[in-house]
Amino acid sequence: MVVSPDIALQVVIWGLYAGCIYILLATGLNLIFGVMKIVNFAHGELLMLGAFVTFTFFTISGFNPYVLLAASVPILIVLGVTIERLCFRPILGTGKLNEIFISLGLIYIIQNAAAIIWTDEWRIIHSPYESITISVFGVNMPLDYLIIIITTIAILIALYLFLRKTTLGRAMRATSQNRKGAMLMGINVERMDMISFGIGAGLAGAAGTLWAVSGQVFNPYMGSLPAIKAFAIVIIGGLGSIPGAIIGGLIYGIAENFAIFTLGGAWKDAISFLILILVLIVRPTGIFGESSE
Amino acid sequence: MKKLLAIATVLIIGFALMAGCTEQQASGDELKIGVVASMTGAASTTGKDVWQSAVLAADEINAAGGVYVEELGTKIPIRLVQGDDESTREGGQKAVSRLITQDNVDVLVGGFSSAVVSAHQSIVAEYKVPYIITGASTPIITRRDDVDTFYMFHHAPTTDDSGSQTTLFIDDTIRPAINEKFGFSADRPLRLAILYQDSPYGKGQQDAIKNTIAQENLNIEVVSEETFKMGETDYRTVLTSVKNSDPDVVYVVAFLNEQIPAVTQARRDVGMNAIFIAVEPNDDPDYYSGVGRYGDYSIVQSRFSPYAVPKGPIEASVEKFVTDFDEKWGGFPGMMGAATYEGVYIAARAVEDAGTLDKAKVRDAIAQVEMPQMVEAMKDQTIRFSDDYRESKFDLYMEQLFWDDDLQETRPKIVWPASLKETDFVLPDWFEPGKE
Amino acid sequence: MQLAALAAAAVIPFLLGANLYILTVLILMLVFIIYSSAWNFLTYTGQGSLGHAAFFGLGGYGSTLIAVATGLSPYITIFIGAGLPALVGLFIGAICVRLKEWFLAMVTFGFAIIIQTLMVSQFSAWSGGWDGIASPRLLSSSIPNYLLIEYYSILAITVLVIVLFAIILRSRIGLAFAAIRENELEARAAGINPVKYRLFAFMTSAYFAGVAGALEIHHMGYITPEIFGVDISFWPVIYSISGGLGTLAGPIVGTIVITLLWDGLQSLGISYARYIVIGILLVLIIIFLPKGLVSLPGRIREWMEKRAKKA
Repeated sequence: MVVSPDIALQVVIWGLYAGCIYILLATGLNLIFGVMKIVNFAHGELLMLGAFVTFTFFTISGFNPYVLLAASVPILIVLGVTIERLCFRPILGTGKLNEIFISLGLIYIIQNAAAIIWTDEWRIIHSPYESITISVFGVNMPLDYLIIIITTIAILIALYLFLRKTTLGRAMRATSQNRKGAMLMGINVERMDMISFGIGAGLAGAAGTLWAVSGQVFNPYMGSLPAIKAFAIVIIGGLGSIPGAIIGGLIYGIAENFAIFTLGGAWKDAISFLILILVLIVRPTGIFGESSE
Repeated sequence: MKKLLAIATVLIIGFALMAGCTEQQASGDELKIGVVASMTGAASTTGKDVWQSAVLAADEINAAGGVYVEELGTKIPIRLVQGDDESTREGGQKAVSRLITQDNVDVLVGGFSSAVVSAHQSIVAEYKVPYIITGASTPIITRRDDVDTFYMFHHAPTTDDSGSQTTLFIDDTIRPAINEKFGFSADRPLRLAILYQDSPYGKGQQDAIKNTIAQENLNIEVVSEETFKMGETDYRTVLTSVKNSDPDVVYVVAFLNEQIPAVTQARRDVGMNAIFIAVEPNDDPDYYSGVGRYGDYSIVQSRFSPYAVPKGPIEASVEKFVTDFDEKWGGFPGMMGAATYEGVYIAARAVEDAGTLDKAKVRDAIAQVEMPQMVEAMKDQTIRFSDDYRESKFDLYMEQLFWDDDLQETRPKIVWPASLKETDFVLPDWFEPGKE
Repeated sequence: MQLAALAAAAVIPFLLGANLYILTVLILMLVFIIYSSAWNFLTYTGQGSLGHAAFFGLGGYGSTLIAVATGLSPYITIFIGAGLPALVGLFIGAICVRLKEWFLAMVTFGFAIIIQTLMVSQFSAWSGGWDGIASPRLLSSSIPNYLLIEYYSILAITVLVIVLFAIILRSRIGLAFAAIRENELEARAAGINPVKYRLFAFMTSAYFAGVAGALEIHHMGYITPEIFGVDISFWPVIYSISGGLGTLAGPIVGTIVITLLWDGLQSLGISYARYIVIGILLVLIIIFLPKGLVSLPGRIREWMEKRAKKA
């Protein structure tokens, strides 16, 4: 089917905004994997908690939900650190299958704890800018989307500066490149683990706030799907590679939407996995991945 | 040797506990109704609704003395027993078999999700327990030919019913309104797009729409049919496809967590100025608050509404039901709750008609029941089950949403059928029809 | 030990009352014991699948379609129909053969979704789409005590499957599995071809998961695509880990204990909290009791011996 240029532009801009959530999730996953070499399948639940924390503070205080990033991110950082210490640190090195399975347990715990606290009803919050649309390059888009894109860019820049310019950030990068070497240099790698998990969780929490703010509905079980997409993006782009995650996200977004046009909406999830599987058949470590662990 | 004795003992105690915990004292002086509800799992929001409404009905009947059973010569109370099917087929099997053999229920009420119900229908058929199914919407339920559905009654509109009623409304009300307003010829067909959930419910409605158009020879052209996965949050691409097909009306088959983003993104992001139709599960306060302004002038098909009460015979009882529910539980009952509330009353009435708790006689009484409608509008204002497939027929109505500045939300007004309508259907100023 | 367990399994229906509820629970439990054992079998080669519902469901569909087309007894068609998931397992296994654990987990998860989508769309003419199809029962309900007979027949099948797994795992194949799992490079150096064994494990695991699925469907009498759901994929994982990964008794013990716990908590009226309990149990077992509940008596004995030594 023929796609006119302005629709194409529109799809690109939507892709950008939707991609922000995935990029935040994927970056968090990459950060954690880089330092700890583990994958936490319960990452989507952190996104969900970020959304619910935002919802609670919004309902109580009525503050501008964007401001509530200042609530969701710190809370999720603390939660991330807790999970790392209680669950992942004890099993570090006991085999990859254990990491996968412990994540499963965490998924059950977090989803249903949220269901008990907040009930499993679908929630939604309305951003104060909800009805304002602006024109960008001739395309109409809601102001919220623009704010979300800018916020994500800001967060990514802050993260970049942290990793490049601060001592702590450099220590984290050292640990991810060579754990034994970092230990020999006197870096407390366990502290690096904690911090990386915390930051990863914080990024997921920020993604959760942005999810809620954009007017999406959420309930305790909504975290799995965005997380799975983020995983697929990370795997396609290569575990540990941030530029890979961004390009993977773009490929993904475009391919997914193209599939909807041609095969129909029912295929959206299946296509996501088909892409993943095809990439893995050709390159079992992903497009940008390292060829050995 | 000691080790395996210990393990064997533990296992046997475990089993016994499990069996014993649920063993209920068999008593002949209660009408035991098993409520099959999805209290946990994916469908748990419906389960709460179903259970709470059943409790309300049972409490009301018991407060009035109970159910009179001629054989016993006295009134007996209703005792509800909850059966959580966990929204899974295995859970449903276990719950229903427990209700039948451990709790010895006389009647079963409830049942959501065609998949779950189809897995335990054989058990119900074998043990010949009357089952008033108030949740599942697939027509197959009472039409299966591999299982004897003689004891099963379908007290919920099937997707055939809701799909066909809505399609008839589109043809006899929306189509002429468009043709008149824009000066089109009177036999210009209405351009309909169907956006449906990839699920038994969505597919069932899609089939019903197309069958109705064919069978009734309606002047509707289906210009687009698109699906989406359950739980989808991003509809923009699929809506772009729909927009390209130039529809007048977009019939969306979705639950409220999908309907809200679908309509919002359609109106705001993709810029569609068509009339949107929502199916009955969306008639819920959360939908009105969630969809906001974007729901203005859209249509909701319904049979039980928190905000629109069909004037006339059931007005008073609906208001009483909603008020009582709010007092007891806080919040609004949903339509499955309403059907289950009626289901409990149907069971009670059937027992009274039969004069006994004997399941076969109670079944016959349900099959022949003729009760005045209660909180949902029924065809002919009567609750009764059809002779062929034991389905009850609802008087489904269509509401149009109108923005209320004071409430800062939309509110529904019934616009169809003529017997129930409060106001006329209106095409908004911003409406753009598809091509001529 | 095993004989005692078998004896217990044989008499339990009579101890607790061979009624509809108990037999339904027991039958479903046996089905999941077979299913979990099949899933667990795959982990002997270090492959942890998160999409085994694909095989469970395909077994159900395969057996149902054959039974409906040929009129053969389900007791025969389950073993033929399971060939479908075995073939699909071969295909998926071939794709996964070089993948690391997380990738394999995601790919298998994805396959379950792809297969469900295919069944409701391209193959809906055969599968009945979302409506599903009716499936012939294992035994006609007109036979007296048919559920009891069903139970014993499924028990027999379960025993056969487990004995088969035991034989395979104690043979050279089992040694090869262990070698591949521990250190693939060394195994290759020793002349063991990991690809061949991984594929074999995948096919076998898929086959018996299919047998379990077929048994469940012929017991229930109807199959719908919900059988491919994520919950069905996750249960064998939970059961096997709780019981003890990489042991024969693990899936059995895990299925029994967790099912009892699950249903027991249910009758106490706890709903969401059950999931949390299972989750916490899983986390605790993985951290503190990595060999699962089967290792519990051993650990307790060790702990008591240590205390005795100190005294």
